Amino acid sequence: MTVALSVEEIAGKIEENFPRGIVESSPKSIVVNKESLFAVAGYLKTTPGLDFDYLAAITAVDYYDYFEMVYQLTSLQHNHSLVIKTRCYGRDNPSLPSVVSLWRGADFQEREIYDLMGISFDGHPNMKRIFLWEGFQGHPLRKDYL
Amino acid sequence: MLANYGYIGLFLLVAIFFAVITLLLPFSLSLPARLVSYFRRLREYLQLNYPILVKLLPPLPPRFMQIVPYNPNPVKTSTFECGMETIGKAWVQFNFRYYFYALMFIALDVLVVFLYPWAVDLRKLGVFGFIGVLIFISIIVVGYIYAWRRKVFEWK
Amino acid sequence: MEIGEVYSSRQLDAAEGEQIVSLKARSQQPIPDPDEWLEGEVKRNVLLTSVDALLNWARRSSLWPVVCFPACCAFEFITTAASRFDISRFGMEIIRASPRQADLMITAGTLTWKMAPQVRRIYDQMAEPKWVIAMGACAISGGIFASSYSVVPGYNRIIPVDVYVPGCPPRPEALLYGIRMLQRKIAKMSIAKEGK
Repeated sequence: MTVALSVEEIAGKIEENFPRGIVESSPKSIVVNKESLFAVAGYLKTTPGLDFDYLAAITAVDYYDYFEMVYQLTSLQHNHSLVIKTRCYGRDNPSLPSVVSLWRGADFQEREIYDLMGISFDGHPNMKRIFLWEGFQGHPLRKDYL
Repeated sequence: MLANYGYIGLFLLVAIFFAVITLLLPFSLSLPARLVSYFRRLREYLQLNYPILVKLLPPLPPRFMQIVPYNPNPVKTSTFECGMETIGKAWVQFNFRYYFYALMFIALDVLVVFLYPWAVDLRKLGVFGFIGVLIFISIIVVGYIYAWRRKVFEWK
Repeated sequence: MEIGEVYSSRQLDAAEGEQIVSLKARSQQPIPDPDEWLEGEVKRNVLLTSVDALLNWARRSSLWPVVCFPACCAFEFITTAASRFDISRFGMEIIRASPRQADLMITAGTLTWKMAPQVRRIYDQMAEPKWVIAMGACAISGGIFASSYSVVPGYNRIIPVDVYVPGCPPRPEALLYGIRMLQRKIAKMSIAKEGK
């Protein structure tokens, strides 16, 4: 019997286990601290009731003060989905922990974000540009490129 | 050019040489006499009964008439790989599993070659021929079954 | 790149990056169109006129395109090659990926700097005589992507273009008009002028 949990219930579960993890929580998405991102992701993937085993996409958005990373997770067993966001302050060499060890699909997505936004991921096995050529200066999708 | 192909080029040369010599040897021994008779007959046919020098102009290759351009440069003559630079040789090692199949094929092919004439004259050879061929087949099949049991035909 | 060496993927990436950067540096000015021989009087050698006519007729009636389909104009080219707007009636149905037997490159699509060395190499590997039709706005000048960081602003930065066919994408009739224009251009060629 699979039960699809709503976002508030999942936020509640995360809150229990990671007291200072959640920054904001809305009916659609949960904003998590950068430091607890990897732990929360591991918890979401491995907990039997949650089982988020499919990472659909990782996106990065450039608000001028911070970069926001959006992880779209789905559970194929329980049929609930969740959006986790993280904020990354600082424009020079921002870096985040990589979730490749949890979801292999994050591999190319994180390389794309590194290529176009400049956010590097610690723990990524192959952190290099994927679309643009080696030797390209700059990260084009930042708001201050050109 | 031959350096690019290595030993295959050498084998090719030897093969061509061998074939040409074998095929042309009977003709070449009588070449001068036949040439003379050919030209005599040609002259009679053309009704030129006095000796003239028949000079045949070779057809000019189109390149010398500057119809076909010829501008080689290093990029143009390089190997085509969908626009990329080639790295490494194309002459790679074959998978060793093909060797097993080739070996079994040779053994059984030789068996089949011996079976064809036997099958043609089957009745004349009688029972003695039949038993002999059965022994022959069984000898070869023993080797085949041995290879089969040693998992030679599996591709792992 | 040495034959027989094994390279890591980082070395290959670095080599590719250098190739693209150097190509981009060399392609800051558009290559002038090969049209100078069209203007001015062509002093025809009387003996060669009929040879020229025959040769040009043969060359323009059997232009074989090479596959160069980076983007959406390829669909219009495929439509042109299909049964309604047939390019087979112009002798052009042999469209193969190999440039060795091709004499026409119809560049159907936006070109990015990352793909540019490959297209240049394929153009170089075609045998003379060869012609290029730039199909679509992206091929003429980069189109709507002209100011992008990764788009080559027109194929004439890297290869010399003979005919430009505007449109986004050009309709098959427009492409056929461009092919007809190229055929008229080929009809004016002369073997006395150059090795082309």
